[in-house]
Amino acid sequence: MIRIERVSKQYASSKDEIALNDVSTTFESGLIHGIIGISGAGKSTLIRLLNKLESYEQGNIQIFDYTDLRLLNQESTRMLRKRIGMIFQSDHLLSRKTVLENVLFPIALHRKVTPSDTEYARSLLQEVGLSDYASRYPAQLSGGQRQRVGIARALIQKPDLLLCDEPTSALDVMTTSQILQLIQSTARRHHLDVIIVTHDLNVLREICDTVTVMDKGRIIESGKLDEILYKAKQPETQAFTKQIGLDLGTLKNQFPIEELLLLKFEEEIVHQSIVSEMIQTLGVSISIVFANVSPNKKGTMVLHAPKKQTEIIAFLKERKVGVDHVV
Amino acid sequence: MLFDLEIQVYLDALWETAYMTLVSTLFVFVLGLLWGAFLYGTDQHGLWENRTVYKIVSVITSALRSVPFLILIVLLIPVTRVLVGTILGPTAALPALILGATPFYARIVEIALHETGNDLKETGLSFGATKLQVLFRILIPESLPALIRGITVTAIAITGYTSIAGAIGAGGLGNLAYLYGYARNRILVTVASTVLIALLILALQVIGDLLVKKLSKTS
Repeated sequence: MIRIERVSKQYASSKDEIALNDVSTTFESGLIHGIIGISGAGKSTLIRLLNKLESYEQGNIQIFDYTDLRLLNQESTRMLRKRIGMIFQSDHLLSRKTVLENVLFPIALHRKVTPSDTEYARSLLQEVGLSDYASRYPAQLSGGQRQRVGIARALIQKPDLLLCDEPTSALDVMTTSQILQLIQSTARRHHLDVIIVTHDLNVLREICDTVTVMDKGRIIESGKLDEILYKAKQPETQAFTKQIGLDLGTLKNQFPIEELLLLKFEEEIVHQSIVSEMIQTLGVSISIVFANVSPNKKGTMVLHAPKKQTEIIAFLKERKVGVDHVV
Repeated sequence: MLFDLEIQVYLDALWETAYMTLVSTLFVFVLGLLWGAFLYGTDQHGLWENRTVYKIVSVITSALRSVPFLILIVLLIPVTRVLVGTILGPTAALPALILGATPFYARIVEIALHETGNDLKETGLSFGATKLQVLFRILIPESLPALIRGITVTAIAITGYTSIAGAIGAGGLGNLAYLYGYARNRILVTVASTVLIALLILALQVIGDLLVKKLSKTS
């Protein structure tokens, strides 16, 4: 678990603007955490504090068995960093080393590379789908492939935590989805805690368990993914939910809030025609104001149901659909 | 006889110029790399950011670059006498050539390291690399093509400096062109010396380009 307590930071170069303003939060182990915010919100700064790429003036950070990051000397800082893998927006690969050499490079900095290191690097390359590319150079790879090398390299020192700073911002939609799935599967396989920083809620929606929303150096809202997606309270957060087609602010202006129902479908029931069945059985008039449903995936829907809400809720619950009022 | 003088005279002069250029380029490469790395390291976002130190070293660098080369040679005469034991001949020209060209190359190194950038610095640190490792195992190797291009330009500038040094007693093709050619009104000698200098510069450029090409074959 990572505990951040009342941390503040100000960059020397910007006198007026405070990078982090009294930030407190915790990141539970075993989960994929997302941090979202517009540029300059302080999200990158926050994760850079965790591996001490940035320092902070006030507050306290606990991570692994370190109780106060500020007390670490240079040697301990390097030990800390070896336990934290990091991937960046662009791949930051060394252009004059092969893919395999790039993956092994963090180890080569600390000691001589052994045959078992090479074997492990090759297994990581296989995991990210690049086993045939070991002797290529970065310039011979596509953006998505380079980011995969970056992921393999971040895993080579067997870290406990993976920090991802806008890992997909430079990639197209298809590649983004593949990279996110890869981050998720490697996190599970290697028992990694993951923190992803992004400005795109679609990224978080795909793999994150929790979401923290930042604005102007402060955390303005945080919670489980669904709470943030569908029950965002802060206008800044609602600005992000528009990215996934859910304009909560406008919905709440257009409809009485108590008439909006949030439906959650599990994977196995999403393909059943529950809604049309409900309309026929109960004889209700409803409108679907937001839907994100696809076969074999969890789905979400927001209904405007002016009447018979109790019956609707009972009907849906009977069919194992999650029902809740919006906000 | 060729171009008014024995061919051996030209060959000796060519050798002296090549000697002055190559030896000082070697020193300038090493010293300029360290100097430039120091400038980069102490500048904003550098590995050892220290604005005060940076500004002081930066001003010294610019000041040294602004001293005309001829004046630098004269100013360095006492130092040269102590270091080399004489103020005449190609070896005596080395201190002035090195001190004249090192700040120039240091600036090129500084720019090249900045271009390679902050991103790779952070990446290296995130692996747990020391700052020296980031500099010598990441930033400098990644900047190598730019550093080689820079030293080629510098070597060519040094060749130009050797002509000035030659005119006041360092020997080499500059000496030939000025003392034997210009001063004795033997235009052919001046032309022949100039052509040889041009060929030397051309050779340096070709070698530099080949090195860069070899280093860049990974992309």
